[in-house]
Amino acid sequence: MKTRDAMRVIAAHRGDAVAVCALGMASNEWWQATKSEETFYVHGAMGFAASFALGFALMAPEVPVLLLNADGSLCMNLGCLLTEAQQAPQNLKHFVVDNRVYQTVSAVPMVNRGLTDYAGIARSAGIPRTLTLDNVPDLEKAMPEIMAAPGPYFTVLRVEAEPSYLEVPPNDYEGAEIKYRFGRAMEKRLGVKIFGPSGY
Amino acid sequence: MDAYELIHRELTRVGVKLAATLPDDWVGPLIGRIDADPAIRHVPVARESEAVVVATGAFFTGKKSVAVIGNTGLLTCTGELATLNLRHQIPVFCIVSMRGTYDDHRIWQEVQGRRTIPLLQAYDFPYQVLDSLDEIGCIPAVYEASRLQKRPYILFLTRRLLKGKAWQ
Repeated sequence: MKTRDAMRVIAAHRGDAVAVCALGMASNEWWQATKSEETFYVHGAMGFAASFALGFALMAPEVPVLLLNADGSLCMNLGCLLTEAQQAPQNLKHFVVDNRVYQTVSAVPMVNRGLTDYAGIARSAGIPRTLTLDNVPDLEKAMPEIMAAPGPYFTVLRVEAEPSYLEVPPNDYEGAEIKYRFGRAMEKRLGVKIFGPSGY
Repeated sequence: MDAYELIHRELTRVGVKLAATLPDDWVGPLIGRIDADPAIRHVPVARESEAVVVATGAFFTGKKSVAVIGNTGLLTCTGELATLNLRHQIPVFCIVSMRGTYDDHRIWQEVQGRRTIPLLQAYDFPYQVLDSLDEIGCIPAVYEASRLQKRPYILFLTRRLLKGKAWQ
């Protein structure tokens, strides 16, 4: 399964979910597939898109939230699984794109490449619903159940490592612009004020 | 009222709905009060970086949030504060114990005492030091300042504030 195909399948099944993307290739593919501004594209803090998504999901429990994480990012913050399990947000669906390499730095192989069962780690951390998928038909079949079931739901997407991530460019928004675009979208979506009358 | 009770009262005045925490021995009693407050969603975390980023994600729901951590933990999460909060200009309000001061005679806090403020200045993270009970009422103003500055803002709690004068 290619990352692009996996992102397209998730996009097709996402309904009105809000998304949070870890930095990297899956984020670029998600932007290409959706052009979604109800998505926060994290530029830095590798490993911590999971924490961002958790904080958002807990304070907006009526909104379905998709976390599009990556194996390199997950390994930088495995503790996020403990926190996610403890808080048990029913609206959070956690996907991990597992290509076993650091794609954005010339596909350098990752630590413990291919030997680690991330779904097993998630289950042991206390996340009750986990899945590992390696092909598009199985992902297509699983998505309705993943979206309908209570979270947290942890799904590993085993994809092929690809030679270049630059074939699919990221969105061209600057860091602050991503904040304001996502924040304004959430103001409309949630009917709340995030920014005050002076714009901060 | 002691300092912890007063700080908790001010966080309620601010309207804080989420607190992500990892204790040291000084902020532990404040975290205990938060944990017992049904009006605040308490998110204990495994590492301080999680706390500041959980609070950052909550910002986008329009709800008020805070990270409560120790000084040593603050040093561990400067990378995330820089590459997420500075990069995207997102405010995050952090309550942090101010360790390694002249009255904190724990040898393992001595580096924190000398290098934390220069580190914050290098990143251009604003901070405010609370040193006495009559200053705690400034918390709502500091919270608003953190939003206006659109970056991490550190509210330090001193030993004198939390535990009284060391020489008494």
